[in-house]
Amino acid sequence: MSFLSSLRSVVARLFDRARVENDTDEELRAHVLDRAEDLQRSGLPREEAVRRARIEFGGQERFKEECREQGGGLWLETVWTDIRFGARMLRKSPGFTAIAILTLALGIGANTAIFSVVNAVLIRPLPYPHADRLTIIWSSWGKETRGPASGPEMMELRKRCRAFEEIGGIWATTATITGTAEPEQVRLAFTTANFLPLLAKRLQLGRFFAPGEDRRGAAPLMILTDGLWRREFGANPGIIGRTTRLNGNDFTIVGVLPRDFKLLFPNASGVVADVQVFIPFLDDLEKRNRDVGFLRLIGRLRQGITVGQAQSEAETISSELRSEAKEYADQSLHLTVASLQADDVRLVRPALLSLFAAVGLVLLVTCANVANLLLSRSGSRRHETALRAAMGAERKRIVRQLLTENLLLGCLGGAAALGIGWVALEWILALQPEGVSRLIAVRLDGWVLMFTLALAILTGMLFGLAPALSVARGDLVEVLKESGKTSTGGNPRLRQLLIAGEVALGSILLVGTGLMIRTFASLLRVDPGFHPENVMTFQLAFSGSRYQTVGSITNFLKELRSNLARLPGTQAVGGVSHLPLDEGKGNWYSYYWADGAPADQQNTIMADHRSTLPGYFRSLGATMLEGRELEDTDDVAHTHVAVVDDTVAEQLWPGQHVLGKKISVEDSPAGPFQFERESVVVVGLVKHIQSHTLTSKGRGQIYLPVPLAPRPVYSILVRTTEPMETFRAYVEQAVRRLDKDMPVSNLEPQMGYVDKARAQTRFVTVLSAALGALALLLASIGIYGVTSYSVAERNREIAVRIVVGADSTDVGKMVLRQSGTPVVLGVVAGLGLAAALTPLLSGLLFGVQPSDPLTFVSIALVLAAVGAAACYLPARRATRVDPMIALRCE
Amino acid sequence: MPSQAQILPGTLDLLILKAVSLGPLHGYGVLLRIEQISQGALLVEQGALYPALFRLVRQGLLKASWGTSDNNRRAKFYELTAAGRKRLRQQADGWNRLAAAIASALNTQPEEI
Repeated sequence: MSFLSSLRSVVARLFDRARVENDTDEELRAHVLDRAEDLQRSGLPREEAVRRARIEFGGQERFKEECREQGGGLWLETVWTDIRFGARMLRKSPGFTAIAILTLALGIGANTAIFSVVNAVLIRPLPYPHADRLTIIWSSWGKETRGPASGPEMMELRKRCRAFEEIGGIWATTATITGTAEPEQVRLAFTTANFLPLLAKRLQLGRFFAPGEDRRGAAPLMILTDGLWRREFGANPGIIGRTTRLNGNDFTIVGVLPRDFKLLFPNASGVVADVQVFIPFLDDLEKRNRDVGFLRLIGRLRQGITVGQAQSEAETISSELRSEAKEYADQSLHLTVASLQADDVRLVRPALLSLFAAVGLVLLVTCANVANLLLSRSGSRRHETALRAAMGAERKRIVRQLLTENLLLGCLGGAAALGIGWVALEWILALQPEGVSRLIAVRLDGWVLMFTLALAILTGMLFGLAPALSVARGDLVEVLKESGKTSTGGNPRLRQLLIAGEVALGSILLVGTGLMIRTFASLLRVDPGFHPENVMTFQLAFSGSRYQTVGSITNFLKELRSNLARLPGTQAVGGVSHLPLDEGKGNWYSYYWADGAPADQQNTIMADHRSTLPGYFRSLGATMLEGRELEDTDDVAHTHVAVVDDTVAEQLWPGQHVLGKKISVEDSPAGPFQFERESVVVVGLVKHIQSHTLTSKGRGQIYLPVPLAPRPVYSILVRTTEPMETFRAYVEQAVRRLDKDMPVSNLEPQMGYVDKARAQTRFVTVLSAALGALALLLASIGIYGVTSYSVAERNREIAVRIVVGADSTDVGKMVLRQSGTPVVLGVVAGLGLAAALTPLLSGLLFGVQPSDPLTFVSIALVLAAVGAAACYLPARRATRVDPMIALRCE
Repeated sequence: MPSQAQILPGTLDLLILKAVSLGPLHGYGVLLRIEQISQGALLVEQGALYPALFRLVRQGLLKASWGTSDNNRRAKFYELTAAGRKRLRQQADGWNRLAAAIASALNTQPEEI
């Protein structure tokens, strides 16, 4: 047979299906009539002849089916027939269909939403050219392995390392733009000339910095983000070549980044996503101090080079550098290369994978639930399929038809799931998990759609196969004999197994949820070392000709402090160079040692150093353990002093009094970042403040007075009873009175930073609670459905029991026992599995053991209660069966 | 009626081709013709005839057209195509060779070995 003719046949049949169907009918009918006439001629009465002809012919439906198969165009055609038939069957029982689709939509939709997040954060490559070859290069500083590199380190690496095509560096800070409508504090990043081309293919307007334009003495240039260009310059395309004042100097605008450009950097790298202005370093970085790290390095690997190869080369270079220069040996330099993508999601990855696993469990619960619904319905379907089998339909054919129907159900559920997934995703994004930087890139894209479709089909197969087989297996004669009676729906053992499985999966999920809730509760109980309630903060940047001297900065701060102290509602005013839990700013830390420590005990322990205003500890609500806060008189003219925290004290002078002890620190009395080392006297001891995370203690802290360690950016804290908006007005007025060009930025309650530090745990907790609730809901619907169905099914039997003397308590007990058994088994199995699985979560947990007995016991109780409640209603209905009515009905 | 044999699997197509080669027939006609030419010795399951007819049409060995039967009913008539005629010849040859071989095998006498 030629391919063409078969194709023609397929096409003809597809377009001509109804006609062909009728033709076949007519042909077979004609045959039977011809035969009947022949039989009549041989002497049979007409009716008998027709009957005999039919019997001789055999199962008409089967042959029709075979004709259809033999006639070509079979596959598509049967599928279409089955789909239409399936749709008709689903329409016939709208209640079942609605519940099944809703269940599926919830189960699949939850998966769609979580997958969108997983896809955007973990799977999709970073939105950069050659994203797979981009790496981040960390420099180590003693135990700190994820530190910034110094200028000379970058230059040496560029010179010696063959693994990289390009290595670019960035340092982010803040600056003030003037000359536009209002002075504005912007996030500014200094970059090497090759940095931006590593992360963007092209600019929207203008050009990148050219090689050499980042050297000392080059003309000052700047590149803007799309956001700043629109807001400050009205999206004016003629902006290129214009100059703008930045920190009091003129910069020429040479480019505008594309609208979709995003600076995605690993957390705690000090490079925040909202940098708005990029300028070249304008310095010879190789001449900077070898041991002052500030650069975050991005390297693009050469084609074909792996991260591992680059890493081993970087390690060799590190050891060369350590033997060549004392500074590198002192800081025990190690350069670490990591894939930018992997490093970026390092912290959030376990959380997302756990959520993905959890939502997978929800899907299984969904499948079990829908399978149960189908099994309950199979009683009535059994009769119908038996009839079809009697008329000659093959079993294989019936199974296929039922599977098609289930796939249809799966796909309808999947379609509804897209809607639910979209809503769920909006909700997830509204949770705004700080630190999940790439969430901004989440969307329902082609991959997500394909994932949902695949899931719909998979679930259709998964929940449909067992019920379909069980329906098609039925013994014809038995089933047909039962007709009219309520036939039993499916195998009760199978249904109980599904319930047990559903409950087991649900308990695993709920244990996970319980542990997350306990973790979050522990996080809420953490004492961060300060009292953030009623503390407002804002940020000021000192730049430009007006703040060239240290005195100008200290004077401004002193006056501002006394002005703020006079405001209504103010209880305390303070300030610091780096707010606790504010990850938006680069951190400064260095070695310290007790004055006079032998050389081998120097350069061993590190502390964050903070430039601190008087009143800081009082305004923050920190606990002074001994001594005093820093005061206005703590300046270069008086004794040089510092406040340390108990971590530092414990490290240097365990069990001793610390006041009056001398400590060697790095400060910069000559101006920001002009570091020098000197001995200062400890005048105060403060309780440790959680500065970076709530969950780990972190480095000790040393607080230096502003004149000893001036910084370009300060955060001011005011403990106040005023609401945010009134406070904002006061502050803006107070600052403007001192300097009309000084912008106030990041006005935010200190509580906001604390919330951000809890955000990721809150995100995971809220999502897992939602998933746990969903699983619980599905499981209780499942238990309720199966119990009520089995009660309805056994109405007659119950009636008989009552008639022969069982009282309603016995009946209720019987129902509860039978429905309760799989629930109890499920809980036991689920908790056992959970105990095996929860150690995998330990990275996400805080303040709670993976085997936390309280969680396990409460989850067992919750499930038992829900199970009992779901059985209770049907059991009560069973006790109210009126034997007379029940027996008469049948 | 002489004793009837179920036809061997695979031979139904051949019998149909042979029956139709003697002149266009509708489905019931094919059945009667097979009974006739086998002198009632071969029994065709009536319903099974139609899937075979559909198959042969799809394979391009038969072609079908609607006409009117002797009983004045609209009926589908089948006739052989050129390909069908060729197939019939090949299959008949093959069958005959097989039958002869089996017959001669079964007729073998002890002294012939």
